[in-house]
Amino acid sequence: MSAMRAQLVATAQALFASAPDWAAIEAAGFVQLLVPEADGGFGGDWGDCFAVLQVAGACALAQPLGEAMLAAHLLARAGVVPPPGLVTIGSGAGAVTQGLFTGWVAAVPWGRDAVAVLAAVDTGEDDPLLMLLPAGRVTPGENPAGEPRDRIDHDRVTAVVLGRADHALYGAFLRVAQAAGALAAALDLAVAHVNARVQFGKPLAKLQAVQQALAVLAEESAAVTMAGAAAAAALDGGGGPFEMMAAKLRTNMAIHRGVAIAHQVHGAIGFTQDYPLHPLTRRLMGWRSEFGGDRWAEVLGAVALAEGGAGMWAGITRRG
Amino acid sequence: MQRPTDLERRGTPRKPLHTTGAARHSSRVTAAFALPPYQPPADAAAVRAEVRAFLAANPPPADAVRRANCWSVADAGFSRALGAAGFIGMVWPRAYGGHERPAMARYVVLEELLAAGASVGAHWIADRQTGPLLLRYGSEAQRRKYLPGMAAGTLFACIGLSEPGAGSDLAAVRSRAEKVPGGWRINGQKLWTSGAHNAHAMLALLRSEAGSERQSGLSQFLIDLDTPGISVRPVIDLVGNHDFNEVFFDDVLVGEDALVGVEGEGWRQVTAELALERSGPERYLSSQALLVAVIDAARVAKADNAALNAVIGKLVAELWTLRQMSMATAAMLADGADPVVEAAIVKDLGNDYEQRVPMMVQAVLDIDLDGSTELARVLAHLLQVSPSFSLRGGTREVLRGIIARGLGLR
Repeated sequence: MSAMRAQLVATAQALFASAPDWAAIEAAGFVQLLVPEADGGFGGDWGDCFAVLQVAGACALAQPLGEAMLAAHLLARAGVVPPPGLVTIGSGAGAVTQGLFTGWVAAVPWGRDAVAVLAAVDTGEDDPLLMLLPAGRVTPGENPAGEPRDRIDHDRVTAVVLGRADHALYGAFLRVAQAAGALAAALDLAVAHVNARVQFGKPLAKLQAVQQALAVLAEESAAVTMAGAAAAAALDGGGGPFEMMAAKLRTNMAIHRGVAIAHQVHGAIGFTQDYPLHPLTRRLMGWRSEFGGDRWAEVLGAVALAEGGAGMWAGITRRG
Repeated sequence: MQRPTDLERRGTPRKPLHTTGAARHSSRVTAAFALPPYQPPADAAAVRAEVRAFLAANPPPADAVRRANCWSVADAGFSRALGAAGFIGMVWPRAYGGHERPAMARYVVLEELLAAGASVGAHWIADRQTGPLLLRYGSEAQRRKYLPGMAAGTLFACIGLSEPGAGSDLAAVRSRAEKVPGGWRINGQKLWTSGAHNAHAMLALLRSEAGSERQSGLSQFLIDLDTPGISVRPVIDLVGNHDFNEVFFDDVLVGEDALVGVEGEGWRQVTAELALERSGPERYLSSQALLVAVIDAARVAKADNAALNAVIGKLVAELWTLRQMSMATAAMLADGADPVVEAAIVKDLGNDYEQRVPMMVQAVLDIDLDGSTELARVLAHLLQVSPSFSLRGGTREVLRGIIARGLGLR
């Protein structure tokens, strides 16, 4: 890890552990991490983003940091200066007529607090239309962890259209990074618990069945961390779509196996409101559904079928 | 494109991200294991082209069953051609017949051979394990005697670890070497010795100190298998293949020069080599022939099967992740690190994946396992042999024990 990244991570650890409000995160400058220095940003890379969001995931940070980072990055890339305040991301449907958007955006993270939403809107064409939408009529909703996932309806509002593109895969990458941190944190909680908890006259950690289960959790955590780091490296190398899909799929699999183990070794203790496991595991379970769920598997499978068996392998090795 | 209007150019001046200047967190702050992402060298594509050209001239078996689990399939002719092309002993010194190429060039060659299903079984152990061990612990005479033939793909080795009473519990080894004038006398039995019937030499772990217990008093010996007193008998596996053997030693006399490394240090030497054995591409590519076959069959049939697409997509995602983990571990090894836990993670996840490939394909493919098509035969073959993937080279339970120790649980 570079000295700069290590310092970023240390700063994130200190701030995110204190359950900061949005203003504190914004004031620290994290939202500008992926904005080039020339545009007044921090000029970080995707590896930095991955490292910071791992910390956010490990701290169960209940703020739309990844979403805001991504929105700031994509807007800077398009040369659009965002309004002050929270800009989050979302997907929806609708139409733009004479520069005015009518439609909706669903399950928007912290939509109620956002001054604008960078939305990928299905307009009936192959690719969605990426546009910056102002605040609208909010119907509140929440994900399994209680985080805001709001619907926003618009009727003839001014939209800043960036072009035909989707940001769902980048969103998937954000969730991979958060999940890498959250699974590692769940592993830490589990290891601490089985060392401390005595049953059958000895710490749970001394039971071979418990050891073997936690080994699997450590494997799944390592797999997600590797997949996310490799996807970040691909993005920094100018690629990324294949890697983001593969990383999200692998992460979804790891959440399925890992959350079950983390809870299993905790017994009833891990199932209480007071114990800090559920802020991690409830988020993890919700993130599986977000930004594509397992539907990327069909896309990757179709690509493999189009390439053929040898072509599939050539494609994987060509990516480094 | 719409013109930006009221949302544009109202941003506040951006602040740089200011860090607290907190001390760099030095040691691990979490129990979790993270592998550093691996950056392939600039010449990886050239190496890949080189080995693909070799494979075009020396094609793997036409039968997918022979391409599956191909590092258990021996073909002395293929190994000789591979050695002549400089693809065995790639990282070894030229003085011993090697080619002094970078470790990651070797990784590229191995994964291409395995992905193509080449019959690499004859030389695999010598290249992966016995040769490197001789370079680390062997005498000059041993290196001169064995390494050039190994690198040429004409001298094959096998590993003598397991015994009737010592499988996962390797420290229970009882076969013994007694010091006699001019050398050692060996008695005992090795079991489950893969490829002993094709091998010229065995690297055996033997009890060299009478009355010693467990990990102490063990030494490694390199034994020519044509030495009088050695008999090799086949142990046929459940699909009828001859890979395993039992090897008997009956008053076998070897010279002092058969001892490898330091007398009594056998346990340490053996465990040090295990990371070499556990994280390579052979730990996730054993079912690659089936994945390739099912993709090609679906493509030819123009199958419109969303469930099959999804299974293939998930397997490809896992394959990509495992390869990243395996390469990162290989790079750590090449840098002189000792990634014992990381290697165990790669092997356990890799074995789980290569065992699930036939299961997942079977679940989603409407196919009779009647041997009437190549796809049906390779699927049936892997359904039968895949349980062995998590037994060989360290069982799943042993690996998870190593990981648990890395977590501080034991």
